[in-house]
Amino acid sequence: MTEALFLFASIAGVPVAVRAREVEAVVRLGDIVPVPLVAAHVRGLAALRSRVLTVIDMEARIFGKGGLDETASLAIVADIAAHSYGFLIDSVSDICPAPEDAQPVHGRIDPIWAAYVSGLVEHEGQSHLLVSLADFALPPGNDVLAA
Amino acid sequence: MDEILGEFIAETLETLETLSSEVVAWEADPADQSRLDAFFRFFHTVKGSCGFLNLPRFERLAHAAEDVLAAVRRGERSADPATVSAVLAVMDRIGALARSLGGDETVPEADDDALLDALVASGAGVETLAPFPQPPISDPIAESEAPATADAAGPPSGAANERAPRTIRLPLTLVDQLMSGISDMVLARNDLARRMRERAIDPDLESSFERLSANVAELRDRISKTRMQRVDRLYAALPRLIRDLTHELGKKAMLELDGGEVEMDREMIEMVLDPLTHIVRNALDHGIETPAERRAAGKPEAGALHVVARQSGNQIVIEVRDDGRGIDCAALVRKAIATGLLTAADATRLSDAEKLNLIFRAGLSTATAVTSISGRGVGMDVVRTNIEQIGGIIAIASRPGRGTTITMRVPLTLTIIPGLIVRSGQHIFAMPRNNVVELLHQTSAMVAMEEVAGARIARIRGQRHAFIDLEDVLKLGRQKNSTGPRTLMVIRSPAGRPYVLGVQAVESNEELVIRPASPALTAAGVFAGVTLPDNGRPMLLLDAAGLAHAAQLPLREAGACLASTPSEPEEAAVPTMQALMVRERDGTHRLIPLAVVDRVDDIAADQIVPCGTAAFLRIEERLVPALNAEQPREDRLKALRLHASGEQLCYLIADVIDIIDVPVEIDAALAGGRLAGLAMAGDTPLEMLDPFALFAEAHAQDAIARAEEPIRCLIPDEDNAWMRNILAPLLIQAGHDVRFGPVTEADATHVILRCEASDADPKDDEPAAGPIPVITLRADAAPATAAPDTVYRYDRAQIFAAIAQATRRIA
Repeated sequence: MTEALFLFASIAGVPVAVRAREVEAVVRLGDIVPVPLVAAHVRGLAALRSRVLTVIDMEARIFGKGGLDETASLAIVADIAAHSYGFLIDSVSDICPAPEDAQPVHGRIDPIWAAYVSGLVEHEGQSHLLVSLADFALPPGNDVLAA
Repeated sequence: MDEILGEFIAETLETLETLSSEVVAWEADPADQSRLDAFFRFFHTVKGSCGFLNLPRFERLAHAAEDVLAAVRRGERSADPATVSAVLAVMDRIGALARSLGGDETVPEADDDALLDALVASGAGVETLAPFPQPPISDPIAESEAPATADAAGPPSGAANERAPRTIRLPLTLVDQLMSGISDMVLARNDLARRMRERAIDPDLESSFERLSANVAELRDRISKTRMQRVDRLYAALPRLIRDLTHELGKKAMLELDGGEVEMDREMIEMVLDPLTHIVRNALDHGIETPAERRAAGKPEAGALHVVARQSGNQIVIEVRDDGRGIDCAALVRKAIATGLLTAADATRLSDAEKLNLIFRAGLSTATAVTSISGRGVGMDVVRTNIEQIGGIIAIASRPGRGTTITMRVPLTLTIIPGLIVRSGQHIFAMPRNNVVELLHQTSAMVAMEEVAGARIARIRGQRHAFIDLEDVLKLGRQKNSTGPRTLMVIRSPAGRPYVLGVQAVESNEELVIRPASPALTAAGVFAGVTLPDNGRPMLLLDAAGLAHAAQLPLREAGACLASTPSEPEEAAVPTMQALMVRERDGTHRLIPLAVVDRVDDIAADQIVPCGTAAFLRIEERLVPALNAEQPREDRLKALRLHASGEQLCYLIADVIDIIDVPVEIDAALAGGRLAGLAMAGDTPLEMLDPFALFAEAHAQDAIARAEEPIRCLIPDEDNAWMRNILAPLLIQAGHDVRFGPVTEADATHVILRCEASDADPKDDEPAAGPIPVITLRADAAPATAAPDTVYRYDRAQIFAAIAQATRRIA
């Protein structure tokens, strides 16, 4: 069985896995400049060297409300469709190889998560939900996976 | 023309190189349609290009090969081996000729006939296969080998290098990566500079940093130039287009191209190409009359078509002018009424300019017959949309029987635009300067606000505009404590009528590097992009049309045609410019071209710093040379800040009256002194100030502060606490460089500042002072003894004036 690198992190306390090839870096962002008139999960803009990141609060994106508090700054940086994003997360636990093919999800997961999860990845005896960053970048309603 | 020729050679050789790999495959399978097409396209392009490059040999060869391939495509001929060989021989010959254009090897012309014979003969029948193809094949191979080897030997001899600048082709992504790399560098530099300012700096370190910093700035300029291309490229296809069209239409026309050396962003060139082609087609088809009609009208048989490009500030102006029949306004109006765009009653209210602007409406064309060239009614509206999409403006002027002029103004580049930085509470946004017609204070006498049934209206000089506040549109909380007068921006948006946007303040005016906004941001509908200014804090670029839409302002296309407000109400054929009408301090009303006025400041009397015969204005701790700066009797004055590439100048006036349109051409009979002449403001002649003369006058006083270079100050007495803790921070804050330590030979470009007290010390340590200006500060406001050449140390204005004066002595 081939292995691939995964980034293991947590969103709203739920363990998740992201394929490392989607991830460019994990950084602490500086100031986040808020943007008016956009969805609540779009936290604003942050500068990473000369790039401008659109900062997305993954928790708020999933639950449609709430999200991380103002001080959150840990973010996964990724380029999606020629735009740069920073995805805010609670914490990052590890980056290491795991079996490439995700396991099917047995059992019924919270429907609110279902739209984002494509399988399970096992790491240190714990199941992580496999998510793709690209699903979080699009405005809600445009995403392919939305149920 | 040399450049076009060079490009032709480069392109031809490049295509040949790509095709050479196809040759073998084509020989193996001559029936392969896609390969056949590729070869056909090659000959077709060569034929087209050499038509106007005047290369008859190329044309003849390419034409013959194209004919043969066309016959093959039609199935009239088969691609037998003889045909393939003959075609390839011609291809090789074209390559050899192209190389010989760049070098001095010549290919005997007589040989061409053999190749052409082979082409014709090869098609005649299989029986001619044997005798003919043989010589042409071996011949051209030998021919093309020879120059190729000569080429390889060429560069070391150096002769080839002088003939044409050596160029390489790069993928655009590489250039973009370079560009973003250099942006990273600029930000890192700014960050470093900020940190260095925060601590005591070692002068050596500082000077190497300055060198690095200058290099970075230079590199950024160079790299942004790599995106630029000459407008020649835009012109390249026009001669051919004219030739074909005139043949087809039975007309005669002379094409004159000007300003090909002007440079613009290559992306922009691609965006402008289609609109320009369309306008030129229209001019030939509808504008220029047939030779018979022209003779009857007393004009020369050949129409004149003039395409001019020029740079004007951050815009490129491209003008297409013909001397044809002009646009029939009456016909336009009839057509508009017929298609239901407007009613007959509306039509009577239209001004001539508005009638002319109907041509930009969808579905209107005055052509009575639809031709293959134009007149299908999809035309000028698409042209306008295309131009406006890239932030440009298109205007039209026409005189019946005399001709039509269409002017396109497009930004220099897509990625760097001038923007105004506006503040709304905590938020900072950028607004493209192109969209801003005018800035006004809410308290200005020219503005009156009213509210009718919820609709807010700003009346500016009698014209009513819809009024919206930026905070309301963006649903931001209004700052309760910000009581100062707000700034009103008159915004022109491509999608609607001009409207007035209220913001808390307009902070500054910057060149912004714009990147596209992510979909999550564009979903809001009011942002056109993001930008990262030098302070490293990302900023959103506002979309003028999006704001109007979000505020539900009426759109242009809705309602009657009257809504098509010409953004620049140009009188037919009389070009106008905007001028600022001011009241001078002696009460006279004068004009000054608006383009040179950077901003208008309210100033207080104590900001004026007289200094010998010259005077300065203290603005934000910098001294700007000022004219008209005799001590005021009035309480309130205004200063026009004039700006011209690095030079600033303040011109003091009593008040600003209005912005008006005046003809560009002014009556220069009265020119002289500070006046450029008389301009007509409506029916009143007014004197127009001459910015050239103003700057010249300031220069004559040698008073232009070179804003770019910080003044270097040297404080020899580094232990003096007042100097170190009180004076130095003030100087640094004013943008001067300060260093401490003994005077050395290398300090010739510094200004030395020292205290009077230490001056009384023995003068043993400073023979070096000599040519280096020294400013001595005294502790008493009114010294007991006469103390010439000293400055009271708490007279901030005098200190700065003295430093500025000393710097001029060094220069």
